[in-house]
Amino acid sequence: MNQFTAVTQQDERGICCIDLAGYLDAHTATELESIMNTAITNGCSRIVVNFADLEYISSAGLGVFMVFIESVRSDGGDIKLAAMKPKVFTVFDLLGFPVLFEIYPTVEEAKQAFPSLDA
Amino acid sequence: MTSDDSHNGTINVPATTDHLHEIREFLRARIRAAGFSEFEENGIVLAVDEACSNLIRHAYHNDPTQSVEVSLAIDPDVVTVSISDTATPFDPNSAQVPDMPTYLQERRNGGLGILIMRRVMDMIDYVPCGPTSNRNMLVLTKRRTA
Repeated sequence: MNQFTAVTQQDERGICCIDLAGYLDAHTATELESIMNTAITNGCSRIVVNFADLEYISSAGLGVFMVFIESVRSDGGDIKLAAMKPKVFTVFDLLGFPVLFEIYPTVEEAKQAFPSLDA
Repeated sequence: MTSDDSHNGTINVPATTDHLHEIREFLRARIRAAGFSEFEENGIVLAVDEACSNLIRHAYHNDPTQSVEVSLAIDPDVVTVSISDTATPFDPNSAQVPDMPTYLQERRNGGLGILIMRRVMDMIDYVPCGPTSNRNMLVLTKRRTA
């Protein structure tokens, strides 16, 4: 059973979108951490995480974003979160995470929130 | 391995994180069948997942020769989940939980499982192993709200 997948794709503006699907828990969080680490090591600091197909998250999943947020922001980027199902947003909200992370209704809105590199 | 009737039962899995989803599925089906709301179901499943994750990672260090046993009992208005283990006793009621504004400001990581359990569940009881039992027992209780 494939519990969790995370697929990274970079758009023409250099924004990395990571599409999550399945169940993000203490078992699968290590996979996401590895994928995000690869993206950031490859130079991506403008990251949108697409939660549209994510069915479940526990605190181990939240922890992955905490691992990287400081270094990404210090490089002038951000990790913006998008398209969460209400049951997933509830877990973020339970712990006050929306104070630290920008959360958008859609991936497109999250991408638009990054300033243009041409400016 | 599971044993049960429609609303109650027990699941016993090896103490490795790849079995967490089996515990969640075991709980979900039965809590839903008992007519609890999806919100309550999600909260209980999350709290138990956090408790079992802590146990597997910090007490058992992902040791497949050890096991975690989760028992579910549903009265009309109360869900009781009992998690038993033979690891070194650890009472989550004695643990300090993080102050979230400080936690987020300092970009900390980890240590949120017990806070989630406290925020979601109505009661957390812990009975360490002793003369009458060689197993520790963590009992999480949630009352129906709707």
